[in-house]
Amino acid sequence: MSEKVAADSEKKGRRVTSRREFVRTMVSLGILGTLVSYLSLLTSLLPSPRSSQQESEVDNIFRYGPEKGAWYSDKSGTEVKAEDFDQNGKGAGVLWRRSIPAVLIRVDGSRLRGATAKNGLIAFAAACTHLCCIATWRLDRPTEDVLFCRCHDGVFDPYDVVKDVMPNGAEYLGARVVAGPPPRAAPMIPIEIKDGMVAGVPSNLEIYAYCE
Amino acid sequence: MTSRTKRLIAWLDERLLISPLVAKAQRSINFALPSTLARQNKSRVFWLTYPFYYAGAITALLAILQGITGLLLAFNYVPSAVGEPGTPTQAYLSVQNIMRTVPLGALVRGIHQWGANLLVAALAVHAFWAFFRSPYRLGRELTWVLGVILLGLALGYSFSGYLLPWDQLGYWAATISIQIMKAIPLLGESMVQLLLGGTSLTPDTLARFYFYHVSLLPGVALILVGAHLVLVILQGVSEPEEAWKSKAGKLEPPLFGPFFPQQITPVLTVSLVTLGVVLLLGAYAVQMPGEPANKFLTPRFIIPEWYFLWAYGLLKWVGWIYDLAHFVPPSSIFGVDLVSAKVVGILLAAGMFIILLLLPVIDRGKEARALQRPLKTAAGIWAIGFLVTLTLYALNEILSADLSIPIDRMNFILGSIVVLGPLVAAVPAYVVLRHRVSAKMH
Repeated sequence: MSEKVAADSEKKGRRVTSRREFVRTMVSLGILGTLVSYLSLLTSLLPSPRSSQQESEVDNIFRYGPEKGAWYSDKSGTEVKAEDFDQNGKGAGVLWRRSIPAVLIRVDGSRLRGATAKNGLIAFAAACTHLCCIATWRLDRPTEDVLFCRCHDGVFDPYDVVKDVMPNGAEYLGARVVAGPPPRAAPMIPIEIKDGMVAGVPSNLEIYAYCE
Repeated sequence: MTSRTKRLIAWLDERLLISPLVAKAQRSINFALPSTLARQNKSRVFWLTYPFYYAGAITALLAILQGITGLLLAFNYVPSAVGEPGTPTQAYLSVQNIMRTVPLGALVRGIHQWGANLLVAALAVHAFWAFFRSPYRLGRELTWVLGVILLGLALGYSFSGYLLPWDQLGYWAATISIQIMKAIPLLGESMVQLLLGGTSLTPDTLARFYFYHVSLLPGVALILVGAHLVLVILQGVSEPEEAWKSKAGKLEPPLFGPFFPQQITPVLTVSLVTLGVVLLLGAYAVQMPGEPANKFLTPRFIIPEWYFLWAYGLLKWVGWIYDLAHFVPPSSIFGVDLVSAKVVGILLAAGMFIILLLLPVIDRGKEARALQRPLKTAAGIWAIGFLVTLTLYALNEILSADLSIPIDRMNFILGSIVVLGPLVAAVPAYVVLRHRVSAKMH
């Protein structure tokens, strides 16, 4: 029967697929398909989105950072009061929203360029824009008014606030790079005073995600 | 052999059918090393080169030791980094537990720690020795390529292992390396995401690094080391020229001797010395983990392990050159960062690795003897000089603080050493060898 069909098809000039060819093609396709579908399992290697825990608990008040040997070391983890910053040049490493390390400084408002201070205070994200080490205020360079990064000697000037752009295209204001390898300014964090506590204003959080 | 052992072997062979393979391997091993090595033991000069010849054997021995001690450590280590930054995590506590309460735990960890350091050192010696002796000719190209890949694996091993205690040093060394990796043009971001299971170091990263360290890398390494060794055994060790020289100074084929006892004796000697050194260092110089990792606090002097310092130094050095030339790299070319100091540093390091990988293709000369190859030998000396001086450059901040030299001046001194040092070593070597070769030809 099948031979007759094949012979008929051949007469009409159609190409005939032999049983062997058919099986070979199907098995090859089957193996290929199986492998490809198993390859899709590799997507499990991609980062999984963590359930956003504690999202509701996060407030915007700064808390003192973990630096040792600083005037605020014994206050580490407690809320930052504006009155603690009683003289120009006094600054502290702080933590904002539990995840963003920052530096809060009392500045001489008349020297400040490109921004205005709130109650004499100004804050910058402390993760260095170079390789994400945490920059400090007057811990490594006690006599200089700069944000200083220990890893590769990146230096930012908090008195000179300039416009810059993140790789994701977000425009922002930040402390100008004075020296060292950082490619862009350290982003400023707008602040407000709430009941004597210093808090950051989360106007555009995308700006601060450059080390995540 | 007693008849009972013989019967057992016969019983096994009947089932496994491997006696032809064993016989072949035996023959190969006996031919693998020239007995002249043993004969020339008497020559004092040859004794000096012993560690170089057996750096490969030392590496293999240390790898086995790492496997055993790693296995023991795995029984007590807990790969969990969940917790508030700056507080001890399970991983950190379990390492402390190993150091303090597990019987002989500190010794096991000490051996593992020092074994890793010495392994990389032995591997470096093995690689450079191989570079100068050109054993990758005569159909041994694959052995070389496998070796270079294994060098990369060893670095991956130590990179992943360094993070496991989840202490400040490991954490920040990994953070910096990862931020550097992110800068690899086009591929960086996705590579890092795959490697870390996220965009920055998180507890998820520790799970992955632990997996790489105890499962993925050992599997791959076992296969590659196996292939590397099988090739060496089947093809035989590339002949050292000394073996070809008869007493009259003529070149003639080396004598081959049995594996046992001539060849195994020096290997065993060197192995015992190595085991002793590792045990001593592990017992008396083990390093405790530092402070628990804190992602909000960068410790003052973070440096990677000594064998990554050259890469760290390379990045800093390129930055210094840019500063010196007042060159401000454009932030992107066609939307890709290609010329910033860190990208150029990465590309240079990758370039060095690729040159090493392709060396059998690049160097097709027939001459193996280093003294007859002025250009190649000088290039090798330059490379060693470059790595050493870059390592020095990586320590610029520490040196500047210790010697109380201002950092700018320190950078200038070290930066100049990186430029000039390797040349000072390589150029005279080239001139002398060149002179020697041409004098011989006339």
